[in-house]
This record gives sequence, C-alpha cells and structure tokens, in this order.
Amino acid sequence: MTRKGDIVAGAMFLFPFLAFLLLFQYLPIAMLARDSVHAFTLFNPADKTFVGIDNYVRLFTDPTVRQSFFVTMVFAVALVSLVIPLALALAVFLNSRLPARDVVRTIVLLPTVTSAVVVATMWTFILHPANGLLNAVLGSVGLGPFDFLTSRAEALPSLVLMMLWQQVGFAAVIFLSGLQNIPEDLIDAARVDGANAFERILFVVLPLLGRTTLVVVVIMTVFSLQTFAPAWLMTGGGPLGSTNFLVHHIYVTSFQFQQPGFASAICVGLIAIALAVSGLQMIALRSRWSY
Amino acid sequence: MTAATAMRRRIDPVMMIVAVPVLLAVFAVFVLPYLWTVASGLKPQEAIFRDVSPLGLRTFLPFDPTLENVVHLFVERNIGRALLNSAIISVCQVAGTLVLCAPAAYALTRIDLPGRSVLLVLILLTFLVPYEALIVPMYSLVNGIGLSDSLAAVFLPWIASPLGLFLLRPAFEELPRELDEAARLEGAGHMRIFWSIVLPNVRTALLTLSIVTFLFSWNAFLWPLIALQSPDNAVVQIAIAQSVAPGQLPNWGETFAGAAVATLPAIAVFFLLQRHFVRSLAASGMK
Repeated sequence: MTRKGDIVAGAMFLFPFLAFLLLFQYLPIAMLARDSVHAFTLFNPADKTFVGIDNYVRLFTDPTVRQSFFVTMVFAVALVSLVIPLALALAVFLNSRLPARDVVRTIVLLPTVTSAVVVATMWTFILHPANGLLNAVLGSVGLGPFDFLTSRAEALPSLVLMMLWQQVGFAAVIFLSGLQNIPEDLIDAARVDGANAFERILFVVLPLLGRTTLVVVVIMTVFSLQTFAPAWLMTGGGPLGSTNFLVHHIYVTSFQFQQPGFASAICVGLIAIALAVSGLQMIALRSRWSY
Repeated sequence: MTAATAMRRRIDPVMMIVAVPVLLAVFAVFVLPYLWTVASGLKPQEAIFRDVSPLGLRTFLPFDPTLENVVHLFVERNIGRALLNSAIISVCQVAGTLVLCAPAAYALTRIDLPGRSVLLVLILLTFLVPYEALIVPMYSLVNGIGLSDSLAAVFLPWIASPLGLFLLRPAFEELPRELDEAARLEGAGHMRIFWSIVLPNVRTALLTLSIVTFLFSWNAFLWPLIALQSPDNAVVQIAIAQSVAPGQLPNWGETFAGAAVATLPAIAVFFLLQRHFVRSLAASGMK
C-alpha cells in the first residue's frame, strides 16, 4: 500500500473521534473563555454584554468564591492526609498472606463503584441526628448525639468522613499494585539485616512507594475538586457555606443565580487548579523520586 | 532459610492477631451500611426508626420484609422509566465510545501518520480538564445544536473520550507489527487489518474500557441534572437524588429501596470487572 493510502486511511479512522473532540471539548473550552468575559443569563444567552476582566476581578475579591475555594482546599487536604495512611495500612494487609484478603478487597471497593448519589443518600440517613445509624452506634457507647450535617463545625468533617469511606478502598488498590512491584529481595535483605515488620515498612517499603503515593495524592485531590453530589444532596452547600464546594458553587452561580458569565470565570479557575495539580505530578514523577 | 521465611510468613502469629480485628472492622464499616440500606428498603418507615436503636440484628436484617416500598417505586414513582433511561444512555455511551476510540487508537498506533505526536498531545491535554468545568458552555452547546432535554445530550458529549484512548493505546501498541505486515502482503487493507486482526487481539482492553465507561455513565449525576429537564427523561440517579435533597421530607423505606435498585446494576458489572481484572493481572505476570 502506498504512503498516500496510509494517510487517507489514517484520516478516515481518526476523523470521527477528532470531530467529536473538537465539537465537545475544544469548542466548549473556547466558549468558556468567551463567556467568562461577558455578562448574560441562560434565559437569553444571545443578549451578552462584554465586561472585560470584571468576572476575573470578582473571582479574586468575592468572599463567597473565596470561602468556596477555601472549603474545597480544606476538604482535599483533609481527605488526602487521612486516606494515605489508612489506604496504605489496608494495602499492606491486602498484600499479606492472610485468609479472606480477596473478600476484603472486594468489600472495600464496593463504595467506589457505588454512585456519589447513592453514597450521599446512604450517608444522609447514616448521619441523621435522630434516627441515623452513626448516632445509634455512638449512643451505644455513651457518645453524642451529634448534629453532623446541620452543624457548621461538623458538616465538613462529616463529608470528609464519608468521602474517606468511599475512596479508601480505591486508594488501597493503587497502593497494592505499588507494593506488588517492589522487588521481594529488597524486603528479604532488610529482614536478614534484622529489621522487624514495622521497620521494613517504614524504611524499605515507604521510600519505594514515592511514585505510587504521588499518584494517590493527585487522584484524591482531583476527586475532591470534582465533588458536587454531597453538597447538592446533603447540605445544600451549608450551613453558612461551610460545605459549598467549588463545583457546587459553579452550578448554583450559573443555573440558579443565572450568572453563567461569572460561573465561567470560576470554571477557568478550576481548570487552572486542575492543570497545576497535574503539572506538579508530572514534574515530581520526572525527578529523582523515582527508583 | 527461604523455606523458613516462607513458613513464618504464612503463619505469622502477630499478623493473625492483627487480622481478626481488621476483618471485623472492615465488615462493620463497609458491609453493615449496605445491609442497613437493603434491610431498610424492605421495611416500613416506623420499623426503620424503631430498629435502629438499640442496635441489633433487627437493625440490619428485615425480619418482616415487605415489598411495599419497591412496588410503590415502580408503580407510583415510575422508577422503571428512570432505570430504562439510564440503561439506554449507558449502553449508547459504551457503544459510542468504542466506535470512536477504537479506530482512533488504530490510526494513532499502527499507521505512520505525520504529526501523530502533536495529535496525541492535543487529545491527551483534554484529559486534564475536569468535565465539571465544562458544564456551563456544554449546556449552551447542546441547546444550540438542538439536543436540549434529550437522552442523546447526556452521552454524546463524552464519547470522544481521551480516557478511552489512554486505556486502549497500550494494547494496540503491544500487538506485533508483523501481523499487519503479513496481512498486507496478502492484500488486506487497513479496514480488514483493523477489523479481523487488531480488534480480536485487543478484546481485553475493549472490555475494560466498556466496563469503566458503563460505571461512569450509570453513576453520573451532575451533567444529567443539567442536560435533562422533563421528569420522563430523568435518569435513575436523579430520581434517587430528588427524594433526599435538602427541603424534602424523604420516605426512608422508599429511598433506601431506590438506592438499592439504582446500585444493583453497577455492582453486578463490578463483579464482572473483578474477575476480568484478576485475569489481566495474571496475564501481565506471565510476561
């Protein structure tokens, strides 16, 4: 076959994918950039007023956006710092030669394949102040009752707990594949040198899991940035904005407050954060962290 | 020495003492909430409230099960329609993703196209943009092209999936080039090579992509919430969400039953995925 024939065939194979990609990825990105410098409503999107960088100025000065950004960051940091040690412990357990580890792996992955809506629904009832499961459990050991979702101090920690429950199994499975890539003889060498199980994990396994840990940190951070259903379903972003995650704020700003122009500027901010997180990951993965 | 360490690892008494509490904790934390959900879906509301405290077997098992909630869901709340909508959308999204991604993966891995690496970067860049950040212009876009409030609007925007290409590429790349060369000598064109030689050899990757896409589509919430307005078009996640949203006084039994019904297909597919994962892990271990 001629080279020209190759190019024609290649173009035909690629065309549908590229056409959809242009229409549904690149065009929306361009529209987003355009919308973010305009003011309009979704009722009458043709009637746009050019406002320059006003929406971006507001992005940095609006106290609600600032709070939403802050809440999302606290959520991400809290989730990541809790999920890493727990998932690692779980992965070490799953990697050991113990009975039922396959069953345990299946069980801890169930929340990951359960939709955000169903998880939020289950937890609305688990966290219900009067008839919820968690207050019943805590009450049986003399604690509580807690308000959970209706308390300004407890709502965000409650959602972190829920997200931790949903994602820890997924993170553990990523750690598990990292663990299985560590050469057995390195661990055996440490054992011969007299390191106990705890020391083997701390001084041999952990330093070798740098890349895997980074992957887990990035995935969990991105999941936190994308969180929407818990705020929409469980708290409405409240009390007093304490669970108003960025994506929830974008939704409310665009579709309820009818300010899609300003919402687009927040979207651009969200994309910038997501790109920064991925960029940091790429830089770190290329550095001498690797082994 | 190695035999001795292997023996010690197998029956390490310290690890056994750790294992039992861990197993109990995993059961309590991950299994009990699901048991509570299913059991409560089979109870009337008063029974759910009565059984939750004090905790006991009655909390997690339905001793006098009733199908009242499930029947009500299907007869009054029309959840069958929502399940059907979700199924249509998920199946179409899987099919569309395969139809677009597989030929693209072939072109990018098996044909020496000029500018191939530039294309690949342009495609994978979109992978870094979270879809939540595109919902606002996407709403205007699907309305603009006449798809407003249609099931097609829910899946069409995502079938040119950079994730799909990302998942398929290694499998297409790994296949020996000699296969293509041999077929070409016998006069086969790209269409024949793609269809009869490459595709049958990347079935595992296609299956993985299908399962991941199905779970993604079935569980999606934010975009369907924006793209669909009429109650007849509601997908199952929206139907569940609307009965618990702040300001609603949910019927607990019915909501629990709905949550269970909405989750069953995803969990069924997950069990498929698991067996499949174990097989591909074993295969990669043999190399």
